[in-house]
Amino acid sequence: MRIGIDTGGTFTDFVAFDPKTGKIETFKVLSTPDDPARAILDGLARIADPGQRAIVHGSTVATNALLERKGARVALINTAGFRDLLQIGRQNRPALYNFFADPPEPLVPRQHRLEVTERVNYRGEVQIPLDESTLAALVRQCREYAIESIALCLLFSFANPVHEQMVAAKFAAAGFLVSASHQVLPEFREYERASTTTINAYVSPVMSGYLAKLEAALAGDRLRVMQSNGGMASPRLAGEQAVRCILSGPAGGLVGAQAVARAAGFERILTFDMGGTSTDVALIDGEAQVSASSHIGGLPISVPMLAIHTVGSGGGSIAFRDAGGGLQVGPQSVGANPGPACYGAGNLPTVTDANLLLGRIRPDQFFGGRMQLDVDRARRAFEVLSTELGLAPEACQSGTIQIVNAHMARALRIISVEKGRDPRDFTLLAFGGAGGLHAVELARELGMPRILVPRHAATLSALGMLLADAVKDYSRTVMLPGGTSFANLEIAIAPMVEQGRSDLSAEGFSAKERRVEAKADLRYAGQSFELSVPFTDSLIADFHQAHQAAYGYHDPDAEIEIVNLRARAIGLVEQPPLPAFPKASTKLDQALLGHFPLRLGDEEKVAPFYDGEKLGAGHFFEGPAIVVRPDTTILVGESDHAEVDRFLNLIITIGTA
Amino acid sequence: MSSELIRLEIFKHLFASIPEEMGAVLQRSSFSPNIKERCDFSCALFDAAGEMIAQAAHIPVHLGAMPLSVQSAIQSTDFTEGDMLILNDPYRGGTHLPDLTLIAPIFSGGALVGFAANRAHHADVGGMVPGSMPIARELIQEGLIIPPVKLIQAGVVQQGVWDLILRNTRSPWERGGDLRAQIAANLRGVERFAALIAKYGLDEVQRYSQALLVYTERLTRALIAGMPEGHYEFEDVLDDDGIGEVPIKIRVAVHIHGDQARVDFSGSDPQVRGSVNAVYAITLSAVYYVFRCLVDSEVPNNTGSLRAIQVIAPEGSVVNARPPAPVAGGNVETSQRIVDVLLGALAQALPEKIPAASQGTMNNTLIGGRDPLRRREFTYYETIGGGMGARPGSHGPSAIHSHMTNTLNTPVEAMEYAYPLQIVRYELRSGSGGAGRFHGGEGLRRDLLLLVDATASLLSERRRSRPYGLAGGEAGANGENVLIRDGEEQPLPAKGQSVLRAGDVLSIRTPGGGGWGKM
Repeated sequence: MRIGIDTGGTFTDFVAFDPKTGKIETFKVLSTPDDPARAILDGLARIADPGQRAIVHGSTVATNALLERKGARVALINTAGFRDLLQIGRQNRPALYNFFADPPEPLVPRQHRLEVTERVNYRGEVQIPLDESTLAALVRQCREYAIESIALCLLFSFANPVHEQMVAAKFAAAGFLVSASHQVLPEFREYERASTTTINAYVSPVMSGYLAKLEAALAGDRLRVMQSNGGMASPRLAGEQAVRCILSGPAGGLVGAQAVARAAGFERILTFDMGGTSTDVALIDGEAQVSASSHIGGLPISVPMLAIHTVGSGGGSIAFRDAGGGLQVGPQSVGANPGPACYGAGNLPTVTDANLLLGRIRPDQFFGGRMQLDVDRARRAFEVLSTELGLAPEACQSGTIQIVNAHMARALRIISVEKGRDPRDFTLLAFGGAGGLHAVELARELGMPRILVPRHAATLSALGMLLADAVKDYSRTVMLPGGTSFANLEIAIAPMVEQGRSDLSAEGFSAKERRVEAKADLRYAGQSFELSVPFTDSLIADFHQAHQAAYGYHDPDAEIEIVNLRARAIGLVEQPPLPAFPKASTKLDQALLGHFPLRLGDEEKVAPFYDGEKLGAGHFFEGPAIVVRPDTTILVGESDHAEVDRFLNLIITIGTA
Repeated sequence: MSSELIRLEIFKHLFASIPEEMGAVLQRSSFSPNIKERCDFSCALFDAAGEMIAQAAHIPVHLGAMPLSVQSAIQSTDFTEGDMLILNDPYRGGTHLPDLTLIAPIFSGGALVGFAANRAHHADVGGMVPGSMPIARELIQEGLIIPPVKLIQAGVVQQGVWDLILRNTRSPWERGGDLRAQIAANLRGVERFAALIAKYGLDEVQRYSQALLVYTERLTRALIAGMPEGHYEFEDVLDDDGIGEVPIKIRVAVHIHGDQARVDFSGSDPQVRGSVNAVYAITLSAVYYVFRCLVDSEVPNNTGSLRAIQVIAPEGSVVNARPPAPVAGGNVETSQRIVDVLLGALAQALPEKIPAASQGTMNNTLIGGRDPLRRREFTYYETIGGGMGARPGSHGPSAIHSHMTNTLNTPVEAMEYAYPLQIVRYELRSGSGGAGRFHGGEGLRRDLLLLVDATASLLSERRRSRPYGLAGGEAGANGENVLIRDGEEQPLPAKGQSVLRAGDVLSIRTPGGGGWGKM
C-alpha cells in the first residue's frame, strides 16, 4: 500500500494506492495542529496493511516553526567583523513608501551572534588561520545561553570549508547540533547562505523531533518526507536539512497537478490553487520549474524549490472602498475567523459572498451541504459597500469578482508572460476550494484555450506525494572562466554526481532506478544573475541562446563565467497509472440538481447545476452551467463547453464569444 | 458609471505590471553592480503628452524626475517608430550624469500614443574621477553630458552615437552591456503596451490612463484635506559643498489649505560651487516621495499626485540649480536633506505619522583604478545604509537605506570576485542611534581593504550635523570617514578624493537615526 499524506491547516488529506487492485482511495480527517501526528495516525488507522505501508508525508512542521517563530534557540557563528550579517541583510527596506514597515526580525538576536577570528579569500586560500584558542570559550558561552542549535557561516567556506569543519567538529564534540553553511548551501553570497543555514538550524531540531516521534509510532511502515523541490527524502535527511521541506505541501500539489495533466494529455499547464486567504500559481512546461532562491516570511532561502508564486487574494479577500472612491479587493482577508459574511459571523463583504449573491454558489450545497450559507447577511454586507460606492449591488458584486480576477491574472502573467511563455499555449489547471469559480474568466482574460479541474482537486497535494520520486539536490560555486575545458568541468562536477549516486544507493535505489541530472549556472562576466543550462559540452552555446530567449539579446564576444555547478539525483519510483473509467451508462440528466438563476456579466441567466459526484466519463454539456462538488464549485461560462474525461477530470473548453 | 469604477481598478493592475516587467528584464540582464545588485534604476510608462501613467517601485529619487525627462524629449525630438532616445543632461531632463535615461516612443496605427522609459545608474560616464561623482566645480567636469539624442533611429542603432558614448567612459564593455539591457527593457515595455492596445483598443486604454491620473490626484487631495490647515516651517543644513566648509541651508514652508498644498523652498541657500546642487527634478522627486508615503500604499505611482501640490524652488538656489553648476551629489545627498526638512515641517501637522530624521545621506563610496589580475580598469560604487529615524510608536530600523534610495548592498563575496578589494569588517555601529522613548536605528561600519593602489571618492553627509530627533528624542550620531594606514586612523573629509595605497583600509561609519519622544 502506498500512501500520500498532506497536513493542512484545517484538514489532513490521505490518498492511498493499492498496487494489487490498482484502486486509489482518498479521504480527509480534521487536522490536529497541537500535534499533527495525531491526525496522521487517526487516518492511517483506516488504511490496511499496517507495518508494510510506504508513506510519503507533506509536513507543515518546519513551515510553521519558521512563520510562527517557534524554532530552536540558535547561535550563529560568523567570521570576526561580520556578526551582524544576518541583521544587515542586503541593506534594503521592505516597503518603499511606508515609514512604518519593519524589516523581518533576525532569527538570531545579536547576543547570540558570535565571531571567530579567521579569513579565507575568494580563491579558497587561508588568509588568517582560525584562532582555535577561542573555541572552548564559545562552546561555554553557548551552553550558558542554553543554545539548542548552531548555525555556522564563515566567509568563502564553499571555496574552502576547512575552518567551518574545524569549528563544526568542536561544537559537535560538545554535543551541539550543527548546521554548517558549506554543507547546507555551498554557494557564494554570504547573506543568503547565512540566512538559509540559520533557518535550517532553527527548524531542524523541531522537524527531527517530530519525525522521530512519528516514525516510532508507525511501527514498521516506511516513512518518507516531501521536500520543497518536489521529491521525497528520508526522515533522517529531512530532519537534518529541514530547510529543504519548507514548501512541502505546495510542492506536492505541483507534482500531483503534473501527473494528472500528463495522464489527461496536457504537458503545458498553469496551476491555479485558490484558497481562502491566498492563491498559489505555478507554471509547468513539461516539467515544473525550479527556483534557486525564494523568500519565505521575508527571509531568503536559497535551496532549490519548485517555483510557486503566491498572491494575497482568495475567497476571503475583503471588498472595500478606498479613499479615492474606488472599489478594491484584498489583500486584507477575513480569514477563517470570522470568515465571509455568509458564514454567519462576519459583516464584511468578501469574494465568497459575491459568488453566493451572483448565484454561483448555492447556499444549501456548500461543503456538500454540511454548511448552510446566510444569503441575507452577505446581501447586507454588500448593501453597505454599494451605498458607499454609489453602485448597484449587483455591479458591486460582479466588480468584486472582476477585480480579484485581475489580481490573479497579474500573478499568472508574472509566471508566464514575464518568463517568455505565452499563456495561450497552456491549459489552466484549477484546484483548491475557490479555484473552480474563477477559472473560466481567468482563462478567457489570458486567452487560454481550456481548463482542467482534476477529479481529486481537493487532495491533489497528497496524490502528488504518493507519486513523488526521491530527489536530492547538490550545488557548489566554482566561479570558473567560460573557457574552462569541458573535461575540467567534468572533474569539478564528478564528486557531486558521485555523492548523488551513493546517497540514492544508500536509500535502496538500484542503478536502474537512479538518474542524475547535471546543470551549470552561467552569466556574462559582470552580471549578477545566472541562467541555468544543462551540463553538456554545448553549455556555452546553450547559455547564449537562453540569454537571448530570456532577455532578448546575447553577446557572443562577451566573457562568460561558470558560477555554480548543480547535480540533481533522482531515485525513480514506479508511477501507478491513474484509474481510468469506462463511459458512463447514466444520462447527464441524472446528475442535474436543477436550474437556478445565475448572474454572468450584466445578465441574469437560468443555468443547470450538476452534481459533480454523479457526472461520469463522457458526459458533455454547454455553458452556462455550474458543477457542484463537496469540496468546490465550478463555473462553466456562457460560450464554453465541458466534458468529463476518462479519469473523471472536468475539461472545459473556452468559447470564443 | 458602474463598470467604469471597476475597469479602473483592473487597468491599474494592467498598467502597473508593464514597468515591473521592464524592471525584471533590466535588472537580470545588466552589468553594473548599481543596476543588477543594487536596483538603482526605474522603469515607467507615459502617455503621449508625457504624463507618467505607471512607475515600478524601484527607487524614489527617480519618481518626479522621469516625467521631466520625457517632457524634455518631446520638446526636442520628432519621433518615428522604432526610435530610442538617450539623455543624461541634468539641465535637460536628467538628474546627475551617471543616470542614463532611455526613452522609446510607442506608436499605434501610425500615431504616437505613449512612451516607455527607463533610467539606470551607470558605474562610470567619464569625468574627473572613476565613478563620475567627483567634487567638481562645473558640470562638464563630472562626465560626458548627453543631451536628448537618438541612440536608435527607426530600429537602427546609431553606431556613431554608441561609440562616442562608450569611448567616453572608463568601462566601455560594461556600459555596452548595460545599454543593451536598457534597450531590451524598453522594447519589452513597448511590446506590452502595444498588446494592451490590441486587446482593449486605444480609446479604452487612453480613457483609463487619464482616469487613473485623476484617481491618484483625488487620493492625494483627500490626504491633504485631512491635514490641519496651516503654515509649517523647518530648516536644516548640508555639512558643506566639498570645497568650502560652510553649512548650506535648506528651508521649507508648507502651506496646507483645503485640499491643496504649497511647498515653498524660498529662503534656501543659493547654488554652491561644489557638487551638492540639486536640479528641480530632484526637489520634485523628494516632495513627491514624502506625499506618496503619506497616502495609502495602494495608490498608483503616477503624476496625478503632483496636481494637488505646488512646488516652489527659486531658480539658482541649491534646490533648483542652473548651469553650469555641478550636480552629482544633488541626486544622492541633497535629495535626502530635502526630505528631512519637509518631514520636519510636516511633523508639526501630523506628529503621529512622521519619523525622526534618518541617516540623511547615502555615503557614496567610489573606488577606481587598475585591476592587474583582470588587466582592466575597475570602478566600484556603493551606497551604504545607516540608521532610520525612530517612529512614533516604534524604534528605527538599523543598517538600512532610507527615503530616496533603497539599493541592495554588494555582497562581501561578490565584491571580492569582482574587484581587487576586500571587505574586512561589516557591522552595526552600536550606540549610534539617537536616544529617546523610541530610539533611532544604528548606523553601519563597512571597512574596505585595498589590494591595489586606487583612487577613492567620497560623497557623504551628516559628518558634522546630526539627524534630528523629534518630540524630545535625541539626534543620531554623525557619520565618520576614516583611513586606516599602517594601523593608524586618520580622518577623511565628508567629500573629496584620496589617493590610496594597497594595504590601506577605508572605513566608512554611517550616521544613526534620530530618536522619538523623551526618555
